Amino acid sequence: MNELELKAARQASVFYIAISLVITLIFLAITLVDGNIYTAVARIGGMIWVFILSMIVSMPIVIPAVKKKIMG
Amino acid sequence: MSETMRSDKLAQVSLPIEGMTCAACVAKVEKALKNMAGVQEVHVNLLSGKAAVAYASDQAGVPQMVKMIQDLGYEVPEEEVLLTVRGMSCAACVAKVEKALKGMPGVTSVVVNLPAESAKVKFYPGAVDKTRIKKEINAMGYEASEKVTGQEALDREKEARQKELLFQTRNMWIAWPLASLVMIGMFRDMWILPYFVPKILGNVYVLWALTTPIAFIPGWQFFKHSWNGLKRGATDMNLLYATGIGAAYIIATINTFWPDAGFGGRGATFFESAALLTAFIVLGRFLEAITRGRTSESIRKLMSLQAKTARVIRKGEEVEIAADEVEIGDIVVVRPGESIPVDGEVTEGYSAVDEAMITGESMPVEKRAGSQVTGATMNKTGSFKFKATRVGSETALAQIIKMVEDAQATKAPIQKLADFVAGHFIAGVHVLALIVFFFWFFFGYGAFFSPTSQFILSPYSLAEVGVFGFALLLSVTTLIISCPCALGLATPSAIMAGTGKGAENGILFKGADAVEASSKINAVIFDKTGTLTIGEPSVTDVHVTAGFDRNDVLRLAAITEKSSEHPLGEAIVRGAKEEGLSVGDTDDFEAIPGHGVRATYQGQTILLGNRRLMQQQNIDIGNLSKKMEQLEGEGKTAMLMAVDSKAAGIIAVADTLKENAKAAVERLQQMGVQVAMITGDNQRTAEAIARQVGIKTVLAEVLPQDKAAEVIKLQEKGLKVAMVGDGINDAPALAQADVGIAIGSGTDVAKETGDIILIKDDIRDVVGAIEIGRATMRKIKQNLVWAFVYNITGIPLAAGILYPFTGLLVSPELASFFMAMSSLSVTMNTLLLKRFQPYFRKEQEKAGMHPVPQPQTAR
Repeated sequence: MNELELKAARQASVFYIAISLVITLIFLAITLVDGNIYTAVARIGGMIWVFILSMIVSMPIVIPAVKKKIMG
Repeated sequence: MSETMRSDKLAQVSLPIEGMTCAACVAKVEKALKNMAGVQEVHVNLLSGKAAVAYASDQAGVPQMVKMIQDLGYEVPEEEVLLTVRGMSCAACVAKVEKALKGMPGVTSVVVNLPAESAKVKFYPGAVDKTRIKKEINAMGYEASEKVTGQEALDREKEARQKELLFQTRNMWIAWPLASLVMIGMFRDMWILPYFVPKILGNVYVLWALTTPIAFIPGWQFFKHSWNGLKRGATDMNLLYATGIGAAYIIATINTFWPDAGFGGRGATFFESAALLTAFIVLGRFLEAITRGRTSESIRKLMSLQAKTARVIRKGEEVEIAADEVEIGDIVVVRPGESIPVDGEVTEGYSAVDEAMITGESMPVEKRAGSQVTGATMNKTGSFKFKATRVGSETALAQIIKMVEDAQATKAPIQKLADFVAGHFIAGVHVLALIVFFFWFFFGYGAFFSPTSQFILSPYSLAEVGVFGFALLLSVTTLIISCPCALGLATPSAIMAGTGKGAENGILFKGADAVEASSKINAVIFDKTGTLTIGEPSVTDVHVTAGFDRNDVLRLAAITEKSSEHPLGEAIVRGAKEEGLSVGDTDDFEAIPGHGVRATYQGQTILLGNRRLMQQQNIDIGNLSKKMEQLEGEGKTAMLMAVDSKAAGIIAVADTLKENAKAAVERLQQMGVQVAMITGDNQRTAEAIARQVGIKTVLAEVLPQDKAAEVIKLQEKGLKVAMVGDGINDAPALAQADVGIAIGSGTDVAKETGDIILIKDDIRDVVGAIEIGRATMRKIKQNLVWAFVYNITGIPLAAGILYPFTGLLVSPELASFFMAMSSLSVTMNTLLLKRFQPYFRKEQEKAGMHPVPQPQTAR
C-alpha cells in the first residue's frame, strides 16, 4: 500500500466509523424513547450488531469514494 | 509500479504516446498536459514516446490526461492482460474484483468471468502494470496469475482444481461428522434418541467444544476472505457467511458460558445453527468445486488432444521429440493410431485422418501428398510423412483454444442485469438485515412473538429467546439466504457450456455477445459464390444432336478448350478428365473474342461458343436454341458446339450448389428464419440458384462494397440479420450484420473476420450456430429466472414474513441449505446443455450413418 492509499484508507475510516456510530446512536436513542423496557444485554448487543452491519454497509461505499477523490 | 509518490500529494505516471513525429508534437503534448489542473510537471520524450507526468492526484487523473492526449490527435496505446483468478465463489466476488481493478488509475476495462476463473484487464502501461494488478487481486484474498495456454494451462488448472477440491474435502470431513454429532446432541431429548444417544453429547460444553472447530477450521476461509475484501471497501458472499456463522457462534458461546446474559440462556444455544450453517456452506463449496469445472470441459478436451511427442526426421534419422520442439519445415512421421502433433502438408504416404475433434466432421478425411493435416487430429489407418507448416501458438488447435478462451472471458449483454444486481446485492442485503433487525427488535417481537415459535422442519423451541436473540436470528437468516451465488453462475456458466458445445461442432463463437446475438437472428443472408455454391464452375449438362455421341462431344470440347485459360474452359477440361476421357492437343487453336473458340483436331474443325459464333459461321442450330434457353433459365452458361460446320450439341457449365445447402436453408425456414441470397451475378443466374436451394429473396447484381448496404436495408426493417460469407471478401457485410458468420475458413481461424467462425465448409453449421445460440440463451434465461425466484422468495421468508401467521421461522441452517441448492441447481441445469446436439448432428447420429467418434487422448 503506498502513501496515497494509506491516506485514503485513513480518511475513509473516519467517515465510515462516524456513519456507523451515528446509526448506532440512533438505535440507542430509539431504545431509550420507544416506551419499551430493554435489558442491558439487548441494548448493548443490539448496538454492537447495528454497528457491525452499519460498518459493513458503509465501508464499501465510503472507501472507493474517498480513494477516487484522493487518488484520481 | 509505475505510479509513484513524489510528495504528499504528487503522483507520477509515465504514459506511452503514439503518433508524435517531431519536437512540435512534444511541445504540443507538454503544453496541453501542463495546462491541466493539478498537473505539476510534464516531460515528454520523443524517442521513447513517453510522457512523464507528475500530478496532484486529487485534482487530475489518468483518464483525463489520456483524453487530452487523444484530443490532440495522438494515441495512448492500451495493453491487455488475461489473468487466471482463483478463489472467487460468487457474483459478488466478480463485482468485488471488477470494482477494485476499475478503481486503479490507468485501468480502462475489466471483465471478470466466474466459471472461467479469468479476468481480462485493459490498461494504460505506464499508469499501472500487470504486477500491480495481480497484487491488488491477491490482496483481496484471491490468487491471480497470468493465464497460460496449452498443456501448461491444463496442468495448472488441474492442479488448482485438485487443490480446491482437497481443501473443501478436508473441510467436509471436519464439518459434517462434527455437525452431525452437534445436531444429535442438540436433539437428544427428542423422539427415541434418549435411548441411543449418550447424555454427555447433550452437554452444552461438549456441544461448544464440537462446534468451535467447525466455526474456526472449515469456517475460517469465510472470515479471512471477507476481511480482505472489507479492508479494500469490497464485500462478497463470504461476508454474509462470516456474519451468519459468527453471530450464531457468538450467541451460542455467550448462552453457554454466561446463560444469564439475556441472550435466551441455555435454551437458546443454537449450536446446531452455527455447525450446520458452516457444514452446508462447505457442502455448497465442495459441490461447486466438483461441478464448476465441468462447464469448461470442452476446452479441456481440446487441450488434452495436443500430442505430447512427435517423431521427426533429423539428420536422416527418425527421432522422438516433445511436440512443442517441432520446428517449421521439420518432416514429421505419423503412424496408424497416432495423434498428429502440429499442422503441416503431407509429403509422402496415404491415410485417413479423423478430424472430428477440430472440425466436428465425423467422417475420416483422406490424406495424400499435398493434403493439409491439422495438429491434434487422429491418424487412422495408414502411415505418412508431412512437413510442419505451423507450430506452437500458430497451430489450428492453439488458435481455436485461444478463440474459445477469449470468448469465454467476455460477457453477454444479458449478464449486465445480473452483474448490476450482484454488484449492489451484498450492501443491499446488509441494509435489509439492518431493517429486519430494527423491525423485529422494536416492533415485530412485541407484536407477534409467541413462546411456541419454531423453526421450519425443526422441533426446536424458541420459547426462551429474548428480543435481541430473536431479531438477531431473523437478521442473520436474511443475510445467509440472500447470497447471489446462483445469480453469478447463471450466465457465464451457460456461455462457457455453449461456446464449448460450439467448438465441439466446429463452430467458434468469438464472444459471449455473438452467442446472444445468434439466438435473436431472424434473417440470414447467404453470399452465393463459395458459400451456397462450391465457387468454381463445373460441367452440369451435355446435350447432343442426332448422330453425335455424348462422350465425343465432351472430349472434343475439352480438347478445344485445353489451350484456353478461361475458367469455363478449364471446367470443361476438368469435367472430361473426371469422366476418364483422354484430352489430346489441338492442331490449331484460335480464340474469337466475344464469341468463343475455334480449333482443329485430327482434321475436324470444332467451334465452341455462343449463338453469335454460330450465326457468324452460318451454322444452323435447329432446336438447340430452345434447349439453350432452358439451360440459361436455370442459371447455367450454355455453349454451342459445332463439328465440321454441323451443330453437335450444347455443353452447360455452372457453379453448383454445395451438398447440404438446400437442407440447411429448409431447416432455417422451419425455424422461422427468413433466408436471402446476395450475389454480384445477374438476376437470372441468381434466381436460378435461389430456386434450386429454396430461397425466395434474391439480392442480385450487388457489388462487394454494396453488400453491407443491403444488410442495413434488412436491419432497417427490424430484422436481426446474420450474414454468411467468405470471412475475407465479405468482411464489410459481416461486420455490418448483427452476426457475421465466416464459413469454411479452414483451420487458420485467427485470420477470419466475423462473430462466428465455421471451421468446416458445411453450410449446415449456420443452422447449428443459431441452434446453439438459442439453446444457450434458453439455459441462461432458465438460470436467471431460477436465481431471481430463489432470492425474491427466499429473502421475505427468511425475514419472517410468514411468522405473524404461522409462528414458523426459517432457521439459519435451512437458509444455508437452500443457498447451496440454488447454485447447485443452476450448475446442474447448465450441465444439461452438454446433452444438446444441433439438429443435423442429431439426424446423422439417428441415421447411424456417421458415428460420432469420441475425442481421443493424445499420445
